[in-house]
Amino acid sequence: MPVTFTFGEMLSARSVIGTTLAELGETHDNLWVLTPDIGATLVEFRDKYPDRFLDVGLAEQVCVGIAAGLAYDGNIPVVSGMLPFLSMRALEQIRTDVCYPNLPVKIIGTHGGLVGNGGSTHYAVEDLALMSALTNMTVTSIGDPLMVGEILRQSMTMPGPIYIRLAVGKSDKVLYQPGEHDVRIGKGIIARDGTDATIFTHGTTVAQALQAAEDLAADGRSVRVVDMFTLKPIDEALIAQCADETHGRFVVLEDHLAYGGLATRIADVVADRGIRLNAFERLGIPQVYAGFGDDEELRDKHGYGLAATVAATRRVIAHPSWPTSH
Amino acid sequence: MRDDAVWLEGERPSVAELEDRAFELRSKLLHLCGTYEGAVHIGGDLSAADIFTALFHYGLRVDPHDISNPRRDRFLLSKGHAAVCMYIAMSMRGFFSYDGIVETYGKLDSAYGMHPCKVQLPGVEASTGSLGHGLPLAVGMALSARHRGEAHRVVCLLGDGETGEGSVWEAAMAARSNELGNLVAFVDRNRQLMTSHAEERVAFEPYPDKWRAFGWEVVETDGHDMAALVKAIDDLPASDSDRPTVVICETVKGKGVDFMERNLAWHAGSLGAADLERALAALEASRQKETV
Ligand SMILES: Cc1ncc(C[n+]2csc(CCOP(=O)(O)OP(=O)(O)O)c2C)c(N)n1
Repeated sequence: MPVTFTFGEMLSARSVIGTTLAELGETHDNLWVLTPDIGATLVEFRDKYPDRFLDVGLAEQVCVGIAAGLAYDGNIPVVSGMLPFLSMRALEQIRTDVCYPNLPVKIIGTHGGLVGNGGSTHYAVEDLALMSALTNMTVTSIGDPLMVGEILRQSMTMPGPIYIRLAVGKSDKVLYQPGEHDVRIGKGIIARDGTDATIFTHGTTVAQALQAAEDLAADGRSVRVVDMFTLKPIDEALIAQCADETHGRFVVLEDHLAYGGLATRIADVVADRGIRLNAFERLGIPQVYAGFGDDEELRDKHGYGLAATVAATRRVIAHPSWPTSH
Repeated sequence: MRDDAVWLEGERPSVAELEDRAFELRSKLLHLCGTYEGAVHIGGDLSAADIFTALFHYGLRVDPHDISNPRRDRFLLSKGHAAVCMYIAMSMRGFFSYDGIVETYGKLDSAYGMHPCKVQLPGVEASTGSLGHGLPLAVGMALSARHRGEAHRVVCLLGDGETGEGSVWEAAMAARSNELGNLVAFVDRNRQLMTSHAEERVAFEPYPDKWRAFGWEVVETDGHDMAALVKAIDDLPASDSDRPTVVICETVKGKGVDFMERNLAWHAGSLGAADLERALAALEASRQKETV
């Protein structure tokens, strides 16, 4: 049998989104699903609720604009597509038509980070910076495919917009058992506990951070991993708590530009609240157009792969402490 | 003055020779699709293979040995997901090494990936793949040629689905406003998007009239009839005319491989070794049928 792929399909989170939307369509007769020709994952919803499904073809701007129009009239629109095009082509529609009036439009999609070997036209690497800049926008990035369903369900009662970022990598793994963590938008998850340092991360690199922590445990290091799946609003209390409980030693790892994403948000909290850290390192995409290769190769090439994560965490742990204040 | 002799060593190929090259291009595409483990946008490659052949082996004044000659025709692949079709068509014209494409496609640090990247591959005119970008770039290049008094053409290949993007029509209006007769758009009218057939979700018709309404010269042709493509190219208005031209090429997505033709599952995909044989046999069979 030949294997066929459709771009925009999520190989693992796909079915979760499809079934969750179909299920939510039943309980919410004002739920609409819109897509600019990336509808392969939405077939179940489309077939069940054809008159609340809209595929506008290749037209991201009008897709978001129409969603805003629907939301003005009391509907809950979900726009599903590829994030480089939604976050950039439709940026002004998201900002002015959705965020400005604070409408409950959900933007969900794939291709967050250096995934799928599409090249720089197809990598959303600055999307979290763009979305985080928008007043009223809630910004999330999900690694665990099952969590996507939970986030969608919770978002149904939100009065304003939300951005939900997914990767498409082969490395998409189920990270948590259902019910294992209290998943709430705005709260980080301690995916693995530890005391020597904290790795903060989101999305597809959570699995990598867990692997790094496991590798470091082999030589006696106790590393905490925080899945900071909500970038905005950021869980300030958890950042302060981790500074206290892991000796003020932070690594931030993300499949996004190293400046402008989670690392920047955490650094802002640290600066604004006067949190004292001993060491802080950020691992993410440098300001280059990244080229081709598979996900893992690209991460290694650009300095935020597994080996780099382990090395940075070691450095952070080895970094001398400030003299304790008296 | 446009000087053909500068650009084509020897005679321009005949229609029959061009047809052979298009067949070779399709075979090479299938080989890549059968050996590369990831997805190849084979449907839209096969629908555009004759257009690429007519352009790179007949119509375009380009020089593989002098890729930045300021007098060359510019070619913008607006439907950037057909990159492999462009790479291979260009390799057959002497721009790149075919082996280099096959050996490195999609790999780390390769110049050849799913969408053309000018940073890695200077032989292409622009990094495209986000649909709706090519025609605006082409307008800019055509405007510059006019300003400098240069006679080359700017040619842009679009997907019909792609023309749903508003930027295409903004560019169409700008081209007419600036009387850019040196600009030619080819539309691969295969009547399929990624996840639907034309008219199913999006009303494209009356399609040629849309371009006419924007003030463009419209040529409608069979995009798999090499003689017709060659004639369309021969009949293009002079590049100093004042009306941009669109050549709407009626095509079949997946053309030449029966199980891929008009099949939404083959927008992009990967053939295994066994299905590669099946696809090559289907391609051969369709050629037999056409020569009868
Ligand atoms: C702006 C943008 N949105 C979405 C995509 C994803 N995508 C790639 S090809 C494609 C369908 C294109 O259809 P068409 O232009 O008709 O091309 P063809 O059928 O010839 O392959 C889509 C939706 C993209 N590359 N760019």
